[in-house]
Amino acid sequence: MHFPGKGKAALHLVDSQPMMLRRLHVFALAALLCACSKKTEEAPKAPSPSATATKPPEAKPTVVGLVIDVGGRGDHSFNDASLRGLELWAAGKKYEGGKYVDAPAGEVRQSISSDLAALAPEVKPLPIQPLVLQSKAQEDYAPNLQLLVEQGAKLTIGNGYLLANAVRDVATENPEARFLLIDSQLMDAQGKAKSLPNVRTVLFKEQEGSFLVGALAGLVTKTNKVGFVGGIEVPLIKRFDVGYRAGVRTTNAKAADALMAVYTGSFNSVSAGKEVAQDLIAKGADVIFHAAGTDGLGVIQAVKEARAAGKTVFAIGVDSDQSHLAPDAILTSMVKHSDLAVYQAAKDLVDGKLTAGEQVLGLKENGVGMADVRVDFPGKAEALQKVEALRQQILAGKLTVPGTASELSSFQVAAP
Amino acid sequence: MGERTRQVLPSVLSVLLALAVCWLTIALTRDADTATKAYLQMLWGGVGNWPAYLEGGNANSVLRPLGESAMKAALLTLTGLSVAVAFKVGLFNIGAQGQMIWGALAAALVGAHVSLPAVLHVPLALLAAAAAGAVWSSIAGLLKLKRGVHEVISTIMLNWVAVSLVDNWLVIGPLRAVAQGHQSSITGTAEILSTAQLPRLLGDSSRLNLGFPLALVAALAVWVWLGRTRSGYETRAVGLTPEAARAAGIPTLWRAGGAMALAGALAGLAGAVLVLGTEGRYPGTLGAPYGFDGIAIALIGNNHPLGAAVSAAVFGILRAGGTRMQLLGVHKSFPELIQGFALLFVAGRMVWLALLNRRRAQRAAVEVPRA
Repeated sequence: MHFPGKGKAALHLVDSQPMMLRRLHVFALAALLCACSKKTEEAPKAPSPSATATKPPEAKPTVVGLVIDVGGRGDHSFNDASLRGLELWAAGKKYEGGKYVDAPAGEVRQSISSDLAALAPEVKPLPIQPLVLQSKAQEDYAPNLQLLVEQGAKLTIGNGYLLANAVRDVATENPEARFLLIDSQLMDAQGKAKSLPNVRTVLFKEQEGSFLVGALAGLVTKTNKVGFVGGIEVPLIKRFDVGYRAGVRTTNAKAADALMAVYTGSFNSVSAGKEVAQDLIAKGADVIFHAAGTDGLGVIQAVKEARAAGKTVFAIGVDSDQSHLAPDAILTSMVKHSDLAVYQAAKDLVDGKLTAGEQVLGLKENGVGMADVRVDFPGKAEALQKVEALRQQILAGKLTVPGTASELSSFQVAAP
Repeated sequence: MGERTRQVLPSVLSVLLALAVCWLTIALTRDADTATKAYLQMLWGGVGNWPAYLEGGNANSVLRPLGESAMKAALLTLTGLSVAVAFKVGLFNIGAQGQMIWGALAAALVGAHVSLPAVLHVPLALLAAAAAGAVWSSIAGLLKLKRGVHEVISTIMLNWVAVSLVDNWLVIGPLRAVAQGHQSSITGTAEILSTAQLPRLLGDSSRLNLGFPLALVAALAVWVWLGRTRSGYETRAVGLTPEAARAAGIPTLWRAGGAMALAGALAGLAGAVLVLGTEGRYPGTLGAPYGFDGIAIALIGNNHPLGAAVSAAVFGILRAGGTRMQLLGVHKSFPELIQGFALLFVAGRMVWLALLNRRRAQRAAVEVPRA
């Protein structure tokens, strides 16, 4: 007699191990009852949500809320930069296992990248309580912002241009609450810029930082081929692209002509980034700059693997100093200091100086910069000197970096 | 135990067990107190903080959460129905996501570029979305009926085609709205006109909109159609035994194709509800995988139209409220985890039924008080 395997197993389960199953059943019920009784038991004395969320501490800290986009915590890039500004710098705390613990001062100091060295002593923990919500989907942005307002956040931060409309709607609905929007202006339904009296927006001149890393890439490349990997092709990412091109053109005209730029069309796909980077490497690019969020992690992975296979290839990180991801492979990073913008807003709030309006932060305002170059390559000292000279020119206003394709086409490389 | 109880009970027990397992998971990784508070937060976030409201709180503390839950429930109901309808005719529609994407795009385009009074604009946009979804699912339907291509394969692949065409090209390329002023970045299509917005039913602060009653009506209509009409009966007959149905003179190809088109239309409507109800445009990427969630919702709802609506309501509440768990440092993905566990347990339906049978047998012998 032959039973099919499945039927036999089922019979076996039901007939010869009833004790076992009954025990499981009892366990499941017990767990359920336990959960239920717990709930009813807790219900009466459960405090209101605002009290459960922010434990009443000694001196009541100001709640500052932050909604990060679907890229989430741990992107080693844009979201982590803003989280650093709020949690580590402004609150002096780090997030571990679902709780905030005090961060040692040394760790705070270490997280401040070298281009902000002059500002580092001023970064001191403020009496604030961070409250961070991650979003799972586009339509969660508005309710998350609203939830933070209801939780008593004195300042609510929307991190990323994807949240622009959500910030606009929630800020309009809650005129007494205050908001900070990173990376975008507010726009009305017709796509026209608008402003609200309770919203500060921060834009960055990404082209200036990208120009510096581009200049360095032009000096480092041996094949005279460099690459750029962008996320979604929007004006914001175009600024990275254009600035980078202008930088490469300034130091290496030949590489600028052969520059290969690819857009992955997403910010959350490691595999897409890896694919296009492998393609660029196969075509001979030996320096690749990415501005693609999580896709960029794939770019770095591809570069790492190419190096393991014996090629001399470098990646340039973005937003945060990404050197720790691949110490040998990361040439430098184009850092975008949303950490500083967030810290500054929190500080202004505590000092009672928080203003609405639009900020545009460039190299001069410490909005962008170039991270330390920790890898070695022939002619390093000389190359860094040249880049530093260009930086000084931008700071002095002698050099205006193009931010759009049309500005790039009329961009003239100044005599060295 | 009646037939109806036998159908409903495994799903209910599965959801409860999933809730218990996740409660235990939080309790073990954190502590029991946090787990209970997190569940309470989820509940308040899903159905509104009634205790606070009854103590004289703001009405918004109840209306807003209800709106969020209803919005999610509407989307899940429609995609769940989509999967359930296809299943009734014996087809696995794994492509609700792709159909929803096309529906959302169609709704966004009609909403933004056609000007009509609201009475006509909303129905037209909904109709366009349903048509777009139906066309997309019919590709899979035709491949199945004309060429025998298995619908699981074709619908999965069509999902990726839809994502690539719409998310990775159309909405960030030719159809992207242009911001005035070169520094601004917009992803997604132009914002829809106010006449195309689904009206909100509980005032401006709550996002509960016409989409929710629409989804309920759709569930009722599908239920009546399947159970009370001739073509619905024939559709079920084709799903149960295609050969017998053919022998009985039922046009099996038409029924299967029709059900697949209806499935696509329902998923397309979900896209329309998302765009016309809350987003106001086709966003840069339609991240939310409601189409895939539809499979879970349909299965937990035992492929019954009303079952799908009920399970969508439950998970709408859990997911709308689940975001609040983060206030206690519990990870944002727990509602999905609960849903996943529930699906896993429902898949063990036979085990539940065997257990229930034993209980019944035992009770017949010795009266055992029920827990």
